[in-house]
Amino acid sequence: MNVHLQEDLSKHTLRADDGIAKGADLLKVENISLSFGGVKAITDISFDIKKGEIRAIIGPNGAGKTSMLNVINGFYFPQQGTITFRGEKRRRARASETARDGIARTFQNIALFKGMSTLDNIMTGRITLQKRSLLWHALWKGPAEREEIEHREAVERIIDFLEIEHIRKTPVGRLPYGLQKRVELGRALAADPALLLLDEPMAGMNLEEKADMSRFILDVNQQYGTTIALIEHDMGVVMDLSDRVVVLDYGKKIGDGTPDEVRNNPDVIDAYLGVPH
Amino acid sequence: MPSTVQAGARALDTFPQYLLWNAERFSTRTAMRHKDHSIWKSWNWAELAAEIRAFSLGLRAIGLQSGDKVAIVGHNRPRLYWTFAAVQALGGVPVPVYADSVAEEMVYVLNHAGVRFAVCQDQEQVDKVLSMADELKDLHKIVYDEGRGLHDYNHNNLHSIDAIERAGREIFAREGDAAWKAGIAAGKGGDLAVMLYTSGTTGKPKGVMLSFDNLVISARNGNAFDNLSESDSVLSYLPLAWVGDHVFSYAQAYVGGYCVCCPESPETVDSDRREIAPSYFFAPPRVFENLLTAVMVRMEDAGPTKKRMFDYFMAHARRVGEPILNGETVGFFDRLKYRLGEFLVYGPLKNRMGFLRMRVGYTAGEAIGPEIFRFYRSLGLNLKQLYGQTEASVYISAQPDGEIRADTVGRPSPDVEIRIEENGEVLYRSPGVFVGYYKNEEATRETKTSDNWVHTGDAGFFDHEGHLRIIDRAKDVGKLNDGSLFAPKYIENKLKFFPNIKEAVAFGDGRDVCTVFLNIDLTAVGNWAERNNISYASYQELAQHPRVYAMMEEHVAQVNRDLASEDTMAGSQIARFLVLHKELDADDGELTRTQKVRRSFIAERYAPLIEALYDGSTEKYVETEVTFEDGRKGKIVATVEIREMERKPAAPAQKEAAE
Repeated sequence: MNVHLQEDLSKHTLRADDGIAKGADLLKVENISLSFGGVKAITDISFDIKKGEIRAIIGPNGAGKTSMLNVINGFYFPQQGTITFRGEKRRRARASETARDGIARTFQNIALFKGMSTLDNIMTGRITLQKRSLLWHALWKGPAEREEIEHREAVERIIDFLEIEHIRKTPVGRLPYGLQKRVELGRALAADPALLLLDEPMAGMNLEEKADMSRFILDVNQQYGTTIALIEHDMGVVMDLSDRVVVLDYGKKIGDGTPDEVRNNPDVIDAYLGVPH
Repeated sequence: MPSTVQAGARALDTFPQYLLWNAERFSTRTAMRHKDHSIWKSWNWAELAAEIRAFSLGLRAIGLQSGDKVAIVGHNRPRLYWTFAAVQALGGVPVPVYADSVAEEMVYVLNHAGVRFAVCQDQEQVDKVLSMADELKDLHKIVYDEGRGLHDYNHNNLHSIDAIERAGREIFAREGDAAWKAGIAAGKGGDLAVMLYTSGTTGKPKGVMLSFDNLVISARNGNAFDNLSESDSVLSYLPLAWVGDHVFSYAQAYVGGYCVCCPESPETVDSDRREIAPSYFFAPPRVFENLLTAVMVRMEDAGPTKKRMFDYFMAHARRVGEPILNGETVGFFDRLKYRLGEFLVYGPLKNRMGFLRMRVGYTAGEAIGPEIFRFYRSLGLNLKQLYGQTEASVYISAQPDGEIRADTVGRPSPDVEIRIEENGEVLYRSPGVFVGYYKNEEATRETKTSDNWVHTGDAGFFDHEGHLRIIDRAKDVGKLNDGSLFAPKYIENKLKFFPNIKEAVAFGDGRDVCTVFLNIDLTAVGNWAERNNISYASYQELAQHPRVYAMMEEHVAQVNRDLASEDTMAGSQIARFLVLHKELDADDGELTRTQKVRRSFIAERYAPLIEALYDGSTEKYVETEVTFEDGRKGKIVATVEIREMERKPAAPAQKEAAE
């Protein structure tokens, strides 16, 4: 006797489909320039992030990578240039608004609430998705309670996904660094992001933690179809993880393409090896 | 169904038969719980039977036949437990495998057993099986529980349990389950129920074949001995491949109808146990040691009032706790004070450890420290000792309620006969005695005599109360050059009873004196270092710290004093010792997967250090290769210090009453 088994292989998606096809432009930055007083942090940079890809931004120290992330998530507003997210040109927006629009991020030096538990920290990631007003949540009955349960379910799925059940109730400040990084990723995921920005997700990690984190990043991308832009210094990790890489140096774009193209780009080699000009 | 159907006292032959009966008699009682996404989910016996039926019918549809061997690879997940009954219902034989064994270890077992199916927990285990798929000629299908990460895999011969159960439910809706039930009813007690591979302290693992009769009768006896019934519950957290877990979390649960609770993950066992508070609990001494260490470490950090309260009531418990538990006469005021202590200290402590509802607890596998044993008993916990083996379906001897000693393993279990050979080896005969080793006639003949007596390989004797005492592995008991007895484990256990010492390895057979390797306990010593402002960067540095050495010296001196007072063991007082620069680890092959020391392997690996222990040098430079979890290798180098110990002359010979 032989039967055909129907495997349920549909991918889970976090955010309701936003109508943008995989591989189409999710975010486009055009001719962006940013300066602080006389210091030019970013000069005339353009690149795009396509839906469903892992996009790396690399460059030596001070190249403007973090500034670029801050521009994308609305923390800085560039003097020149335009940002188009999901087909809409962005006007001057605050970071909280871009968060609501579906851009979530983690930070280079962990920015968690140290006294709060892992669970509570990740729950804060859901705040932008809260539908009921503060008053309802203060009463915590009826609709607010139901909403809370929904959010908690979403958070528990993330805890399961990141394999951090054992630290669910542990205050984050007591956790080792590698786990804190994982909690921070959890909080960013909790916002159901269309675009996830990761600022040096593997800084300060040992080899095993890096391997774990790489696996989680790939799983997020594959399982949930989340588009990811990441800054990372570990070239091995960058080349293995990302679909396309953009290279910055002194605030300018010096390379853009697949890992192989970038690896063989003479300008990039110069910037990294420090060839005298 | 057997013809001797009597309400209430039916004796069935196989576990699938018990499953169907439980679905009738305990239909609404909880059979299984599992913590998932932070919530305990449960199945009653009727639901459990329906799930297993769907799974079993689905397995049949993808080709599982009577006699097929099915590997089960993973941690304690409900669906892996269901696999046992689902496979047995079709006449197949489950072969649980240690989930943390690396691919090379696993390939031997899977090949030897000739498994046709492998049921894996998740991607990690599926990857392991796939990585050796070329060598597994009999392997037909791989089945997995959690699909995460497996999305893009080729699903030709890889199926999720979800899909299999779905197919099974369709088959049930279409054809019913009459044929399936008839197959179960045809199962006989003499049929092969399960194959458990012993972890292999020596040589390659051996597949112990246990029949339904072995397991069902042992389980029935075990339940009767401790009055276990459908109202009890256990937390299943020990490896599925280990006979203890198979009997406590499967055999006894099916026969007695009690509830088995699966933790959320191996890391959350402590908090899950606290939430479940199992009434029947089994753990190797290590678990009790770790729990006690954790409690003591936390008490050191507690405020002065709490600490004084703890010390005061613990002192009282040590005095009257055990007599109260044993039902002896204790004064009224002492009882009153004990009640108060229960309210203020013992109760909260037991709650913290997850023992609030524990009615019967067992420890086995290794000797437990008398102090540790007494600590738990004085809290009013009915902790007992047990002696068992895979080949015996666990039970050889156990302590009956009220006859508890820290240094014995109790009286022979129901239906078990025990006899002691001239060389001290313990032999037993019981209904639980295994059928044989799979594809290993020779080993079977060596272990089991023609009239069904089994050699345990352990040396022991009966004391004047009729309790069995185990001193060591029979083959490990040796002699020093002066002819005095050398039982390494006896010495190692004495050392390991100190919370600061995690592991000890003694040498001395065929030598002039006894020497030991020590392993510090990082939790206990690390905390001590913190409190004493000793800074260290690594395990290695802490282990070699002069003050740690001084502490170890004190412990060794104490053991020497103990040994000097026992005339048979006085000769093996420790002459020299060293503290190892690395933790003994199963990944390096130094411990078995059940965390037992592999003495001969260690002797070979650290031969230069042993030489140094006997050539009078005071330090020794060593390089040691270590294996990381992902299989890469590295090297640890260190200069290890060696200390000389003073030995007391043997106490004047006082002959104890001859046994």
